[in-house]
Amino acid sequence: MSGQTSGLATIDPSVLEAVRPTTLSKEQLLDVPEVLQPLFPWKGLQRGWSVGVSGGGAWMLTAAMLAPSLGEEGWMAVVGAPLINLAAAAEVGLRMDRVLVVDTPPAGQWGTVIASLLEAVQAVVIEPATRIGARDARRIGARLREQRGTLVHLDGGSSWPSSLDMGLTCVTDEWQGIGEGHGYLRYRRVSVSAVGRRSASRPRSVSLWMPGPDGPLTTAEPVEELATVRQLRPVS
Amino acid sequence: MGLIERSETGATRERGTSGGERRHVTATRYVTVLCPDWPVVAWGIPLEEPAAVFVANRVVACSPGARRDGVAVGQRRRDAQGRCPDLAILEQDIDREARLFEPVAGALTDITPEVEVSGPGVVGFPTLGPSKFFGGDVALSEKIAETLAPILGDRGNLYLGIADGMFGSRLAAKTSAQVGEFAGESTPIIVDAGGSAGFLAGFGVSELELPDLADVLMRLGLRTLGDFAALHQNDVVDRFGAEGRLAHRLAKGIDQFPPNLRKPAADLAATWWFDPPTERIDTCAFAAKALADELNRSLNDRGLACIRVAIEAETENGEEFSRLWRHEGTLSAAALAERARWQMDGWLHQARMGHASAGNNPDAGVGSAIARLSLIPDEVVPATGRQLGFWGGRAERADDVSRAVARIQGILGAESVRVPEWSGGRGPAEQIRLIPAAAVDLGEPRDGADPNHIAQPWPGQIPPPSPSQIGSEWGRIDLLSNRGEPVAVTGRGELVGSPQLMVIGGDEVEVDRWAGPWPADERWWDPAAHRRRARMQVVLEDGTAHLLVTEQQQWTIEATY
Repeated sequence: MSGQTSGLATIDPSVLEAVRPTTLSKEQLLDVPEVLQPLFPWKGLQRGWSVGVSGGGAWMLTAAMLAPSLGEEGWMAVVGAPLINLAAAAEVGLRMDRVLVVDTPPAGQWGTVIASLLEAVQAVVIEPATRIGARDARRIGARLREQRGTLVHLDGGSSWPSSLDMGLTCVTDEWQGIGEGHGYLRYRRVSVSAVGRRSASRPRSVSLWMPGPDGPLTTAEPVEELATVRQLRPVS
Repeated sequence: MGLIERSETGATRERGTSGGERRHVTATRYVTVLCPDWPVVAWGIPLEEPAAVFVANRVVACSPGARRDGVAVGQRRRDAQGRCPDLAILEQDIDREARLFEPVAGALTDITPEVEVSGPGVVGFPTLGPSKFFGGDVALSEKIAETLAPILGDRGNLYLGIADGMFGSRLAAKTSAQVGEFAGESTPIIVDAGGSAGFLAGFGVSELELPDLADVLMRLGLRTLGDFAALHQNDVVDRFGAEGRLAHRLAKGIDQFPPNLRKPAADLAATWWFDPPTERIDTCAFAAKALADELNRSLNDRGLACIRVAIEAETENGEEFSRLWRHEGTLSAAALAERARWQMDGWLHQARMGHASAGNNPDAGVGSAIARLSLIPDEVVPATGRQLGFWGGRAERADDVSRAVARIQGILGAESVRVPEWSGGRGPAEQIRLIPAAAVDLGEPRDGADPNHIAQPWPGQIPPPSPSQIGSEWGRIDLLSNRGEPVAVTGRGELVGSPQLMVIGGDEVEVDRWAGPWPADERWWDPAAHRRRARMQVVLEDGTAHLLVTEQQQWTIEATY
């Protein structure tokens, strides 16, 4: 008995590390852009999570969040979101040669379609127009945890029968570059707030330029008056 | 002693190979039937009307009507439209091309069973037997033209080339097409036996369709196939490896692969039984994908690659259909699956078209549901292999994705999975086009997915950021001025009234800020497609920003930011 214990103690710690049956959730992280890191409890997106994103600019935020997590080889699939504009996603760094666009499946087929996709792609983005059944949701959830992918709900999870791991809400605070009859939409300042379950239960929020003067996704100072286009007024 | 022996055997071998080359090197005499306008023909457009098929904004095929106006293959879309304003712009639909080509290939089986389809619009077969039977190459070419005339009708011209080796005959057919276009009639080009090397010598090295190799050869001063063929085989292999050797064989007018091909073992055939028998193309496509993967795996395990495959189908009534498909390179799993899908689609389509034509042509499509599909590798060569990433990597991941795509196509239909490609255009909805995933190889880098492939600027584009949503669930909206009157844009692009309220689905929302209007006068040269529109950006009081468009005094939400 005591001999067995001493045998265990002599095993190289790196071997123990490698055969340990569990990995801590903070070790199963996917990269997110630096400016979004304050939103996540471990500064990264956890594998196997389902995330709801809602509000104006939700699609751009989703694309920005997922682009670095795909890495060099990962693919992303968009299911049942016929109106999204992929060009906007390309502006925040999503590669167009890594995207599949899938038609809206009939009500009973969501589970099969998304489960099949999760076997091959790293992230699936959905925007279901109808509610997803509990059975489909369970099946998708199981496959998500098993394949350690990411599922993003562009409707904020309103069509999902259970609660999500995390919800992001994006609110447009301000548009810059546009006036009354002059200029054009150039920069958008948004506040993104995140709240979720377990480790993500503490609400967090950041203020972002999406896009801003310094790039497609940068941190914004919460309140700052930037020079706006001056409107010309008639002089006598 | 040992030394001398080695040098002797070395010398003997040397003599043996060079002598052997002269004695044994043969090229199968081959006829190629080419329909260069097939992509246009498949769209069912009369050839006199100007029309062109585009891929990634370049012309890949055009009708004779368009060619008369100066449109040429390889031209950019703008240049083509500039030369011929009435040009009908068509997208390539390779599935349709393949489906409609099946009757042409089928008709040729009256002449020989060895008909090999290379792709939509290109079909050929070895002439040895048929030529003897019909009394020479000239008689054979007349026979082919006669056989295909009723099938093609006025739907396109076909051109024939007969030469030693498939490559030679392909170039002969191409030449015949060029000459025929000029002369207004199709004359087959028949290269005498043994004359292929001389015939090929005058063509440029770009005809090998290996751009990288051709580029190096050009810079080495070897501009024609004759120059390239004059190099010694050993030098070519030293410098260009296996790929170079195959190209060198082609340039010399001999078959790419030596004729003593291993006949593959029978157990390599991959077979799928449909239970119940099916008439649906998506079910067939699903089976084809699975079979192609299976076949590819078993070939890989044996270090083989397939250059010719027989696709066989059996109906529930026991009728059997078979067609040979050939590929100049080797057939990958995706290419195999694609060909099998085309073939099944072709047969099923003919069956749907009714049995009227089946009466006079015994090979005109399957008459009932399909019970069996087999892929039989007919000619195999040792695989030179493709370099994967160090850990399998990219190619392996793309294989997973292709499998998932095939499964979803099986559930939702063949066109249900699409991939984005940059297309270029003025409006936000025209920036990206979705093309069926079935039409591309997901494992290969795609030019269209790279935004830099849109080289031309589009003046009048709304500057970035792009809207995140195109279209809207709301149809028409009203835009009211501070006086409560509708806001309008005049013919000169001036705004009447200053936007104050937007009415969406009965709700009134205050307009906070706005910009525009930006008039867009699109396709003014074409009365049918001409559109006069004006766009405007508005920011509503809740921070939502929309791109509005007005046409004939009616406002709609074009996109939402």
